[in-house]
Amino acid sequence: MEDFLLRLQESDFGVWVSSAPTIFAYPTILMLHTVGLAMIVGPAWVLDMRLLGYGARLPVEALRGAFRIMWVGFFINASTGIALFISEADDKGLKWIFWVKLLAIALALVVTTRLRRAVFGGGVASDVATPSARSLAKASLFLWLAAITAGRLMAYIK
Amino acid sequence: MFLTFASWLHKTPLSLGFQHQVAWLWPTCETIHFAGLALLLGVAGMFDLRLLGFMKRVPISVVKDFMPWALVGFTLNLLTGMIFVISEPAQYFGNPTWWVKVAFLIVAGANALIFETAYGRRAAAIPAGEDTPMPLKIIAGVSLISWLGVLVAGRFLPFVGAGVGAGL
Repeated sequence: MEDFLLRLQESDFGVWVSSAPTIFAYPTILMLHTVGLAMIVGPAWVLDMRLLGYGARLPVEALRGAFRIMWVGFFINASTGIALFISEADDKGLKWIFWVKLLAIALALVVTTRLRRAVFGGGVASDVATPSARSLAKASLFLWLAAITAGRLMAYIK
Repeated sequence: MFLTFASWLHKTPLSLGFQHQVAWLWPTCETIHFAGLALLLGVAGMFDLRLLGFMKRVPISVVKDFMPWALVGFTLNLLTGMIFVISEPAQYFGNPTWWVKVAFLIVAGANALIFETAYGRRAAAIPAGEDTPMPLKIIAGVSLISWLGVLVAGRFLPFVGAGVGAGL
């Protein structure tokens, strides 16, 4: 396992990402990872808050488009995340907090797809969230916060 | 001038207090700073998209109901950002990229102020389904670009221009 992680990190691509002397390598990839974060978590939290009853004058149906922004954000963050991981595989791959982050994201994705089906799956979305939609919204709020927290702590926890 | 101020600020009790807490204070504030940016961009971004002509069936005043949460995100980020700057003033004042971030912040703030004072009431009166006039679309575009600029400059801080004021 560690041998594989080290080979990834020392691959041409891994070395380019971590040490190419250009702003377009590590700094830009990291910056795009933060733009993607905002595109995923921002719309997700707006939808969660609405389902939990905040801003009740807003028809839930109007937020259907939020998923398109979130999927674009997810595509950006999956790609940039893989690149960042490869560049520091032998460090990040051995950190438990990194796996906590991935677990939080995996659970958040399951919750998001279920929430989409529960709220937008059957024609026009209802303006009153069902108890299960509310639970999914709470889980989504928490799991994305957990993913951000674990991601930040990756820089600090050895 | 700013670097003299930075070295004075760095020796104030408040700064020293933050510096001595730095082991847990910094990562905690960073986490809040990232959650805050998602909240601010998510809510303000939705409002900007409405001004640009998305979600036209929803009256602008209804989308605006969410804006207090953008203010919550902004306040969290202003407070945590001030903790970063007060802890290590030279690291920021001496970095040109930080000034670019501040410039984008000023543009974003002035733009929001222009919207509130000059167009707020007019925007609220636009009925559902109607297109927004060009000035509102420009304000929305400036808002999106300037908040994105704040984020991009913030993320580039450690890589571009860092170390210019190091050792102060």
